[in-house]
This record gives sequence, structure tokens and C-alpha cells, in this order.
Amino acid sequence: MNRWTGRAENLEEWLGQLKANESVMENVTHWRTLPPREASFAPLPKDLHPAWRDALRKRGIEKLYSHQAAAYEAVRRGSHVVAVTPTASGKTLCYNLPVVQSMLLQEEGRALYLFPTKALAQDQVAELQVLADLMDSGIKTHTYDGDTPPTVRNAIRNSGHIVVTNPDMLHSAILPHHTKWVKLFENIKYIVIDEVHAYRGIFGSHVANVIRRLKRICRFYGSNPQFICASATIDNPREHAERLIGEKVELVDNNGAPMGEKHFVLYNPPVVNKQLGIRRSSVLETQKLAAMLLKQGVQTIVFARSRVRVELLLTYLQELIRDKLDGKTIRGYRGGYLPKLRREIEKGLRTGEIRGVVSTNALELGIDIGQLQACVLNGYPGTIASTWQQSGRAGRRMESSVTFLVASSNPLDQYMIQNPDFFFGHPPERALIHPDNLLVLIDHVKCAAYELPFRAGERFGSESLEDMMEFLVEEKVLHKAGDRWFWMEQSFPAHNISLRSAAQENFIIVDMTHDNRVLGEVDRFSAPTLIHEEAIYIHEGIQFQVEKLDYPEKKAYVRQVDVDYYTDANLAVELKVLHVDKEKLTGDLLRQYGEVTVNAKATIFKKIRLRSHENIGSGPIHLPEEELHTCGYWFSFSEEAAARKSKNEMQFALLGIANVLVHIAPLYLMCDPFDIRVVPQVKAVHTQRPTIYFYDRYPGGVGLSERLFEVHDELIAHAKSMITSCSCLSGCPACVGPIEEVGLLGKQQALELLQEAGAR
Amino acid sequence: MSGLRDRMNRLRATTGEVHPPDPDKEKEGRQAVHPVTMEDSDGDESLHPGWSTFGVELRRNESGSYLVRRSVYPLDHRHGTHAVGELIGASSGLSAFHPEAGEPTPESILYLDLETTGLGVGTGNVPFMIGIGYMSGNSFVVEQTLIRHPAEEFAMLYDLQKKLRNYTYLATYNGKTFDWPLVQNRMIMNALRLAEWTPLHLDFLHPSRSVWRNTLTSCKLSHIEEERLGITRLDDVPGSLAPQLYFQYLAEGDPAPLEGVFRHNESDLLSLACLSIRFGWLLQEQIFERIPYPEEAEELVRTGLWLNRMGGSVLPEVLFNRAMNNNHAASSSLLKLAASDKKAGNWERAVLLWQKAIVQAGERSHKDKLEACIELAMYHEHRTKQVESALAFALQAMACIEQLNLYGGRDHKHRAEQDSIRNRVSRLRRKLDRRGMVR
Repeated sequence: MNRWTGRAENLEEWLGQLKANESVMENVTHWRTLPPREASFAPLPKDLHPAWRDALRKRGIEKLYSHQAAAYEAVRRGSHVVAVTPTASGKTLCYNLPVVQSMLLQEEGRALYLFPTKALAQDQVAELQVLADLMDSGIKTHTYDGDTPPTVRNAIRNSGHIVVTNPDMLHSAILPHHTKWVKLFENIKYIVIDEVHAYRGIFGSHVANVIRRLKRICRFYGSNPQFICASATIDNPREHAERLIGEKVELVDNNGAPMGEKHFVLYNPPVVNKQLGIRRSSVLETQKLAAMLLKQGVQTIVFARSRVRVELLLTYLQELIRDKLDGKTIRGYRGGYLPKLRREIEKGLRTGEIRGVVSTNALELGIDIGQLQACVLNGYPGTIASTWQQSGRAGRRMESSVTFLVASSNPLDQYMIQNPDFFFGHPPERALIHPDNLLVLIDHVKCAAYELPFRAGERFGSESLEDMMEFLVEEKVLHKAGDRWFWMEQSFPAHNISLRSAAQENFIIVDMTHDNRVLGEVDRFSAPTLIHEEAIYIHEGIQFQVEKLDYPEKKAYVRQVDVDYYTDANLAVELKVLHVDKEKLTGDLLRQYGEVTVNAKATIFKKIRLRSHENIGSGPIHLPEEELHTCGYWFSFSEEAAARKSKNEMQFALLGIANVLVHIAPLYLMCDPFDIRVVPQVKAVHTQRPTIYFYDRYPGGVGLSERLFEVHDELIAHAKSMITSCSCLSGCPACVGPIEEVGLLGKQQALELLQEAGAR
Repeated sequence: MSGLRDRMNRLRATTGEVHPPDPDKEKEGRQAVHPVTMEDSDGDESLHPGWSTFGVELRRNESGSYLVRRSVYPLDHRHGTHAVGELIGASSGLSAFHPEAGEPTPESILYLDLETTGLGVGTGNVPFMIGIGYMSGNSFVVEQTLIRHPAEEFAMLYDLQKKLRNYTYLATYNGKTFDWPLVQNRMIMNALRLAEWTPLHLDFLHPSRSVWRNTLTSCKLSHIEEERLGITRLDDVPGSLAPQLYFQYLAEGDPAPLEGVFRHNESDLLSLACLSIRFGWLLQEQIFERIPYPEEAEELVRTGLWLNRMGGSVLPEVLFNRAMNNNHAASSSLLKLAASDKKAGNWERAVLLWQKAIVQAGERSHKDKLEACIELAMYHEHRTKQVESALAFALQAMACIEQLNLYGGRDHKHRAEQDSIRNRVSRLRRKLDRRGMVR
């Protein structure tokens, strides 16, 4: 210890002190030390262009990591490649190495780089420009996105060797105007798609179709580019990349980057009310741990799950650490900060000028901020993959690093923190996409027809092209002449199709108390229960009452209020099974997967007093029924099981199980908890038995329920172990739900029923 | 197939069933419903008799067939104020657009106007009608081509591509950003390359805007021709309806709805020719010998300034003097001319204009008055060194900005201006004081 400052000499020493600190250690549920990993090197490839070799040497690169060399060779062999690499392992060289090499050999060659966000694209261009300048090669790299000034667009279109953009820009600006990009498309050799794991769910399904269109345009200009993808660690990188680009892909995953020793500490805030299962706020605990690290002078990143929490933590920490950092600072980082400010923060982190940063998952993606020493996660980030990504921000090549995961009281967090083996022993989630979702597919078939007439015999997705064409002819957007179908409509289809928003028609919330500013958005399916008239809508802790819901215009007008109640709407959900695609019987338990329609109608709402939860009034909701046609998975218990319980008991048991399942289902899916819905039914229409349904909350489905059908056994086992291991007496928000919801015996009822399900 | 439609309807959760039009029912209502298909382009005998009623004929080449309508006008044909034959005299004036290329002959100019299926220059916007106009011997020819379905496009473009090479200039209205890029698109889409031919653009949208931006409510060709070229169209089909009429033709096979589109496009081409004549005469500085001078100072000033930019000599001064002597001249027009004089170092008239602008602005425009006062204050401070006069105008400017304050307008720019006037006033006062001490 430094006897002047009281600070530990290094992180190792500090961690030793921490282990002796009772008040912290009693909340540590697990401490795992991951051993350091040696680097595995390979020489620079023999065939590397001399100029390229020199430039790399000037950047201090004398040899490659094994995965970089493997990626280079695979690309030079002509394969499509996906390289899987953890944070900070020199991923960009996996694609820059072969791309620049090819451009030095063949001047006319072009490449297109796709990044999910603009910030990532800009980093990339800066890096490539440095390399190009070192070689004096004349290779021009440009970003082409919404921020590109119109005056330089033409130059980029004609002379950019490497064009760096994002899928949205490709979809709405480049592909529909491909005739302006003749030079690019005629000479395109490589398409680089970084962060492929970010293209999942409905967004990924859209992007897969944009890539189908891109390949179609390349064929028109006689080119056949090679794809080089890079992904964070996920369970199915090859399968995912293959579905995304529609080609066979070679997997490169022999990571050769070194890694210092890594401490992973799971931290559960102490219980403050045992009966209700309430724990101390994870924000306060996160703040405590981060402050300890920062006071030690350890460069630390804190991840929080929402923008509001970022701001909250930042304010606390800045207050707490003031005067203790020798003039160095703690900053926030999230979407919504201006690009210039973000660049400044990134640079500050690299140089060490900034000692701490509180961020949303915006810093999870591959933005270059150097390597920090410590990471504190406020709440489980939602997926194993994200957790490793975020944790990877701490960890220098030669030094130790530490990550704290501070659990919230959310059931998923509680499960992860109490089952460290699940987290450390499980591969990260699978990235799922469903490019043939009919709605998505038809949208992109329209865009593709706009770009180039379809010819009989072409293929686009798994649907029959003739059927789709005939449908669009009847819709009066295509015209058939000979064996071709031509776009014959006045509109520009790409403008009406957004790659990012799941349900395209969100409701906007307008705050009448503050100059009609837009407060936020609510998706169509949640609108009837959240923003019906008289509902109390809570935004950043402030109460608003919905005064008017303009249903056709999709706008809710709210006014700020101060009341002592919240509202809770009843949603009558009717679920119809249209078609069973798969089924399996295990013991008495029948599970099925197929197409379903969900009809939801909000009926009444209750006003419930804050804290005491007493019902102080109610009112009707007059809104039309919402219908959703999607994919679902469900399982039903035997009639004997049903007979052993009263209807009421069964109700509580099913509700309890559903509450647990909806929280742990995301363990198997890379999705937002709201993307999948659960409905328990005591006597389902389809099965006539007690049944629990899951469905994808997007028309046509995105593959989530199908995956759950496959991992059913594990899912049930986890649900059971989660309920048994929960420390509450008879149900709490971290397992089956609060007793107000599932009754005094809810926990027991749920367990009994799961026993029936044959869970081990 | 109906399976796919049912699935789409379910996914979209449409409650009201949407059925495709039932062909049997449709037939009851109308007689000649016959959607256009490929077969229509095979052989003359299938050419719908309706086409000949407005002069449309079939044209074939080695790449297929398409339709064409050709109208020939004698040189003395009047379209509004001008006769098409005036182009022979006026065309040399257009050399100001591309001085390096010499004088355009009337035969070197191709007029182009497209009718398209949509907006913008995306790859899915198809020009179903291409209208061209050109001088040929003793007549002005309008040639309009139409594709009966998109598969005929190649044959139409194939002929157009060959024809383009006979011309040097491409005369359009907004053709630089719309018509020409669209033609280029279509050539690429049909694997026809235009590499060796690039037109010299005569796009009259930009000069029209320069001249008429503030005097006409719109700079659409149809508005300009009415206000300035003496053209009135009867029963014109608005251009915005053209796509729908074409889709109607595609669906029903009856040419009748397209007659209006042909006539509209033909009028556009004739108006375009007349507009080029007008600008040609104007650039030769002969225009107002033929027609009266504009009434408004704004148009006089704008025309003069545009002519100056295009290299004019005598006429601009004539126009400016008319504007100066116009008792109704708007202060903004006077300021515009003053700014140009200041730049050219023509101080004498600039000062007159600023003074007149103050009078004309009166209580109507404090903003213009402010600008004129500041200009005069600067002029007297730096050029004539009459500090007293400078101070008088600066104080007047100060009064103006205070008036403006009453109406809000407290943005950043406004505050900066206010500060700079304050600084000027105090600087001028210091200068005066110092002089007083010397005396």
C-alpha cells in the first residue's frame, strides 16, 4: 500500500483487501477467477504486399494473432468467412488485412463495409485512413450515411474504394439508386459485415433481406462479392451468418489474443424485507462499488440498462468522487449525446484523462476506447453474450481486471446470480432471425422489384416467386410483361419500410403540459393497456394522465398530474391455434408449436392506491380489439393434474409458473423480454387442459417460440430450480410473483404443478 | 396463390376482407377491358384502333416496337407571344450558357420532357413517355414516344440513344436534376451505355427562378407560360395525373385516357421552346423591344442582375434605371441592386439606392430600413469620413432595431447585430469627441 495516499499499489493488492472486507463479501455470491491466456501468434502472411507489410510494421504490427491469420487465409482461399472474436482482440484486422491486400493488387477493386451504427463506421474510416496514408496507396475510404454532405456524395459514389455505411442507408439510399453506384457495384470484391450478432430478431430478418437485394444488384452488374463477417461470441455464429447472407460460411474462432487474469464477481444486494423479498437498490450498490474502485484510481466503466440510470449513477458518482481524482473526470456516454462529444469521451478514455465512464450498452459494441481495468454492471445485461461483451471492456493484455455484476431484484437477475454455473457453463445465446417472415419478405420483394424487374425463374427467399409476384400484381404495384414483373406504382417503397421498428405503427405520447412535446412511444399491442383514456402513464418517475387517445391517428395526449394511485388494465386475451407444426409428448405433458392468432381486448381498468395497493375505483375501456397472427409454443398438463386442483388453485399455479417462465425465457433467446409473451389458461380452447402459451410478439414471428419449443425441458427445469432456490416464504417478485397476485400458496401450487410436468 | 393472400391478410390483421377484383364482375360494367400484355406488341393488326384517333403510330426497330406521335409545326406557328420560328434568330443568344462552345444553331438543340410513373430519380421510376422537340428544316417537330408496357422500353431507348448524338444541347425544365439523370438510369438499367455522349444543358428552371422568384407565385412552367409567355391551355390534364392515367391504360388497354397526357406533354415542349426563345432574345438584349418592360422593380432588378451574371452589357443598366425611377419600387429590390453596386464599386448609385430604400421602407419594413441605415453609416464612416453623417445613420439604425425588438426577433443573429450597432455608435462618438478636442 502506498502509505501517503492509502491506495493499493495495484489491482491485485486491492482485490486482496476487498476479500477481507466483510461488509462487501457477505453480498458476494460467487467469485470466479479466470486464468490468464497466452497469446498465440502467426507470422505475417508470405504473400502480403510489401507496402502493406511496411504500413503494418509502422503501426507496430510485426506478427498476427492466430485468428487474424486464419481469417486472412480463409478469405484468400475464396470462402465467405465469419470471425468470432471477443472484445479487443484485433478483430478489424481480420477483414482489413485481406481487403487492403486485394486493393493493393487490383486498383479497381471496391469494398462495402456495413456497421450497425454510424459511430462505429466513423471509427473504422479513421483507422483505415491512417493505414492508407502510411502506404501512400491512394486507397480512399469514406463513410456514406445520413450525415454525409450532399456535395461530397457524388465523389464518394464514383471514387470511394471502401464505402462504409449502415444497413438502413443501404436499404433506402444506395440500393434504390444503384445506377449512381455503377463503379462500386461493377467492381465490388468484398462485403464486410461487422457485429453480425447485432442483426437478430426482426431487425436481423430485415437486414437479411436487404442483403438478398444487395446480392441481386451485384449479380446485375456482373460481380460476385465475398462476405467477411465478424461477430461477438454467440452460440451459433456460423449458422447465424449463413442465414444472414444466404451463403455457406467458413468459421474462424481460434482466438489468439492474450488476456490477463480476470476476476468475475457476482454481487447480490442485501435483502431488506425478507417476507416481501425486497432487496436494497442495485443502483446504490453499484454506486458503492464503483466509488471504491474510482477512489483507488482504477479506471472503471459502469454499464446501466437505461439512459435514466446512466444519468442517475453519473450524478451520484461525480458528487461522491469530487476532489479525489486529481482533476480527472467521470463522464456519461449514451445514444443521444452528440457525435463530437462522444469522440471526445472515447479519446479521453484511451488516453486515461477520463478515469470513469457510465454508459448504456452503446459502448458494448466495438468502439475503440482502449482497455479499462474494472467494469461494474448495474443489473444483468439481459444476455450472456452482452455480459461477456461488456465485461470485455475491462482487461488489459498483461494485467488483471475485475468485473462486478450487481443483480437487481428482477427474477432473471436473481436467477443468474444464484446459479453461477449457468452463466459460466453455458454458451452465450443463439442469434435468431426469420428472413422468410412473410410480412418482412413481401416488403423487401417490393423494394427489390423497384430496384430491378423480377424475371421468371428468379428466387427471393423461400416463398414461390410466382405467388408473390401474382399477389403484388393484384395489389396493383407490379405489372407483368412477358416473363418479367415491373414496379408500376408512384411510391418509393423503401421509404415506408423501416428496418428497426418491430411494429411499424407505434403510438406517440404527447405531453400537453409542456408545449406538446413528444414524451415517448408505445407499441401498438401495449397501447390499449398502457395509454387508454384515464390511464396513469409514468415517464421518468413523473405521473401523467392520458386525457385523450386518438386511436386512428395513434396519438395519446397526456397531462402531468400528481396522484396517489396507478392504473392497471385488464386485458382479455383470446388465443386461437390455427395450425400445429410440431408436437411432442413427454409423460403426461403435451407440447406443441405452430401458428396462432391472438385477440386482445382491454376491458376495464382499476385505480390502485400506491403502497397499500387497495382498489379505489375502476372504469371501462372502449377500444377495438387487436389481432396478431404469429407463431406460438404451448404446453398443457394432464387432465389428472387438472383434477387435483381447484380452478382457483390452478389459476394461481399457472400464473406463478408463467411469471417465472416469462423472465427466464430470454436466457435462451437474444431478445428483449417484451418480444415474447406468456398467457396461462386454466382450460384452453385448443387443448381443453391447463395450458401455458408463449408467442412471438411480432406478426409472423421471428423464431423465438420455436427455439423455446426445442429447449422446453431445460426451461422447465430452470423454472423449478429458480422457485425452490428463492429465499422468499410464499412468493415474491423475484420468482412466482407477489402474494397479492398469486395468493398465499402460489409458490407451493406452482411447484406442485411443475412436479407434475416431470421436471427433474 | 390465394393461400398467400389469405396469409398476408391474417398477418396484417385486416378485418375487412380485401378481395382482388373479380374479372367477371368487372366485365359486366365495362366492355373493352383488356389489360395490356406482351402480345399487344406483336404485329400491327393488334394495335388498338383508339391510337389513330390522336395520331399515334407503331414504330419498329431491330430491338422491338413502341408507339410514336409526331406533330410538325410551321415556323410561323404561334404559341402564345412567340412563334416557334423565332428560335432561328434567338438561339445564338443562348451561347451565354456555354460560352466556350460557340453559338448554338437551332438544329443543335434537343428539347426533352418526360412523363414518368413516379417521383424522384430512383431506379423504379420509369419514363413511360419521352417527348422531344427539335428544328428540322422549315419546321419545329415534336416527337413523343410511348411504351405500351415496360418491356418495350428497350426498343424506345435504343432509338433515343442513337438520336441524341445528333444534338449538342439539351433544353429542359429541371432536366439537370430530373429528366437527364432519369434517362441515364434507364440506359444503365437496359444495358445501353451513353458513355460517349454528354449534353450541354440548357436547363431553364434556374434562370426562371433567378428572374421570377419573387414576382410570380410559382416557378412551375405552367405558371410562367401563363404569366409571361401569353399561353393559355384549354382542358389541360395536369402532369401529376399522368402516372394514374398510364396505370389505368395498363389495366384496361384502352388508349383514350392517354390522349390528354400526349397533349399535355406536347404543350410542355412547345412552351419550353418558347421559353428558350424568350431567354435567347433576352440574352441578345432584344427582348423588351418586342414586349413591354416588366412593371415591378423586383423583376427589373432580378432580370438585370441575371443578365449581368450571364455577361450582359447595356440592357441591365436600362433595367436598373427603370427600377430606380419606379415610384413603387419595394425597398428590398432597391437594396438588392445596391448590394450589387457596392460590390462593383458603383458607390454613387448605391448611396442613392440606400437613401431611396429608407424612404420606400418607411414604416413598412424596419428590417430593410435598418439594413440601408447601416450601409450608409458604414459608407460615411469609411469612405467619405463624414463622421457626423455616419453617426446620424447609426442612430437611425439604432432606432430601427429598437422597433424590431418590439416584434420579438431576439435570436442570436439579432443580438449580434444590435451589439455591433452599439459599438459603431460609441466608436463614432469617440471619433467625434477626439476631433472636438483637436479643434
